[in-house]
Amino acid sequence: MVFSFIVIPLLVAAFLPLVGKFSRKLLPDVLTNAALAFLLFNSILLIKPIFNHGVIVQNLNWLGEKVNLQVALDGFNLFMLFTISLVSLCIALFSIDYLEHYGHKSTFYALFLVMIAGMNGLVLVPDLFSVYLFLEVAAVASYALVAFGLGYDELEASFKYLMLSVVASAFALLSITVIFGMTGSLNFQAVAQGLQDLEARLVLGVCVAFFIMGFGLKAALVPFHAWLPDAHPSAPAPISAMLSGLLIKVSGIYALFRIIYSVIGLTPVLSQVLMALGTISMVVAALLALGQKDVKRMLAYSSISQVGYIVLGLALGTPLGIAGALFHLFNHAVAKGLLFLNSGSIQHITGTRNLDELGGLGKVVPVTAGTNLVGALSIAGVPPLAGFWSKLVIIMALIQAREFGYALVAILASILTLWYYLLIQRKAFFGLVAEKWRQVKEAPFWMSAANVVLALVCILAGIFFTPIFKTWISPAAEALARGIQQVLMWGL
Amino acid sequence: MAIQIILLCGLVIFSALAILLRDLIKAALSLAVASLLLGIIFFRLAAPYAAVFEISVVAGLITVLFILTIALTKKGDEITEARLVKLAFPVFLILFLVIDGLVMKSLLQKIPALPSGPESGTFGEVLWKQRTFDLVAQVGVILAGVLAVLALFRKKEEDKDE
Amino acid sequence: MSNLWFLYIFFAALLIFTGLYCLLTMRNLIKLFIAVEIISKGVSLAIVATGAVKNNILLAQSLAITYIVVEVALVATALALIINIYKKNKSLDVRLLSKLKG
Repeated sequence: MVFSFIVIPLLVAAFLPLVGKFSRKLLPDVLTNAALAFLLFNSILLIKPIFNHGVIVQNLNWLGEKVNLQVALDGFNLFMLFTISLVSLCIALFSIDYLEHYGHKSTFYALFLVMIAGMNGLVLVPDLFSVYLFLEVAAVASYALVAFGLGYDELEASFKYLMLSVVASAFALLSITVIFGMTGSLNFQAVAQGLQDLEARLVLGVCVAFFIMGFGLKAALVPFHAWLPDAHPSAPAPISAMLSGLLIKVSGIYALFRIIYSVIGLTPVLSQVLMALGTISMVVAALLALGQKDVKRMLAYSSISQVGYIVLGLALGTPLGIAGALFHLFNHAVAKGLLFLNSGSIQHITGTRNLDELGGLGKVVPVTAGTNLVGALSIAGVPPLAGFWSKLVIIMALIQAREFGYALVAILASILTLWYYLLIQRKAFFGLVAEKWRQVKEAPFWMSAANVVLALVCILAGIFFTPIFKTWISPAAEALARGIQQVLMWGL
Repeated sequence: MAIQIILLCGLVIFSALAILLRDLIKAALSLAVASLLLGIIFFRLAAPYAAVFEISVVAGLITVLFILTIALTKKGDEITEARLVKLAFPVFLILFLVIDGLVMKSLLQKIPALPSGPESGTFGEVLWKQRTFDLVAQVGVILAGVLAVLALFRKKEEDKDE
Repeated sequence: MSNLWFLYIFFAALLIFTGLYCLLTMRNLIKLFIAVEIISKGVSLAIVATGAVKNNILLAQSLAITYIVVEVALVATALALIINIYKKNKSLDVRLLSKLKG
């Protein structure tokens, strides 16, 4: 049942603080992971019905009363749900060992689950105001999680993040309000129909600008990216993985493009603006990443840069571009999740994240080093890993659409990406083992296990690229592209 | 209509006071007055339930939380804001007011009225039957807020060992 | 009544501008949060007024109430953060919070 994606995490989250009174560690671990595993299983079960029916719209009746609990599921949603479930399960597995020294596991897991419930809700609702609300659910949980360490940097980063994020969602909500005023409804389909025969291009343009500003801030596109390099590195490693891997994509990219694709329609001007924004993020953030000393800060900048690729592909609007962007979204979620978890492992092993202090770890901790290499090469786009294929598809789509300039920039940016990831590898893992790291031990079992699972996903998605792409991603992308056509025909 | 405009102007003035006043307690109180005015505006716009929420929750509860925080962070008052910021504020406000006035009317007045007639049903029906999903999300937000406070005010576990 | 929409949105925009100005220039953390509150007042005014002038007041009212609930959760979180920051460095000056920049 689709509705369980929202209800189960919320229910478990509500009970966890009580459970935490009896069992500080074991029960919260088991409950959280079981809930997430169930969601992953559930999302796999839903794949087949979606292929058969295209779209599932479910209405829930409550105690015999007719209430409006409508969820709509299509290829795009399901893809996001699957990504969220997979990555968050691995992150929760990693947290079993990593969170030992933070304490208060039950509160942590509860917030974590509320964040997942928020993201799942955001992905499932076909209603503008509910999108805002679930955005806020995920955001409030994430503020607390960024500050979870209660250290000085954490608190500061969280406060900064909160301020910017609140302004962002205020702008998004303002624009939702104006659209509500113009069309009198909030449901995606009704709004799209209402906008078709409305002569208000200018107001709609302002609304779209506000949406880009609001959700662009959430997705950390370059003019609005200032908060991310602070917030993501400060959080505990599992939360950095969650924020970089999932939250910016769900509450930024998904929300923005869902609204553009199924409500407003991707006009040529809008497409050009978003492509330009994506390209700027891609290049500027890659250049900024080069100069970073802190592993996590470098990864954070790299997230901004990779988000640029996804936006570029989605803004292009051709089926191939959308497919490439979706696949890159998945790959980046997995690989960046892996890399942030891995940085947690490094910190756990050595106690530092400074690249200048590390060195030669490859010989001492082979599992961490190996998985890190896989993740880095996948993001950097080295064949045959998954990241290579998605970047290739995006670039091919750009060439197909005769956007040669953007294609060239995308290729150059991917070379830059490769450069700074090799830099991490060289400084942290290759070379001579520094004397003080000679005695360090490999990361604990669950941390390594989570890393290995994610690394395997990177490799397998690369090897089985063709079947995955053909059976899964292309249909989702074509459904989306059809949606754009439909909205465009309605008006604008 | 005149009363409504006076109320709206009062809302803006008290909000501006809330940021200009040096004393934080006074600032919080003028924010509360602004909320009160907003509540009255809501009431006059035929939104009595929203008005009650605005007055009791925002003007009441949130003000109490603000004052509690101000009391807990006593030295906060000593920060002096840059003088230039306060002096420049009216200039910027008037500038924005002019632009706002010119833009808003031309932007929004052309939008045609909605074809649909007045909605049917009662407020309770709309809230519980049309916006049920929002109630679920509200539960989520409240849960997130409660857990956030729990997480931020927790005792560090290693403190017990000391 | 529909042509009054611009008037309410005009005032909402004014409130949001006031909040944004304060957010960009002030130094006290509590002042910054007061600014956020002013912005959210502007947004809730826009919601209710939109509903009122467009004959959708019941719907708008329930949206406004939900928005107020969200606001409370946000305020609680933010104020908890502020108190924690104060505990750490005994000041509420935002200028002290620039260690992470770069």
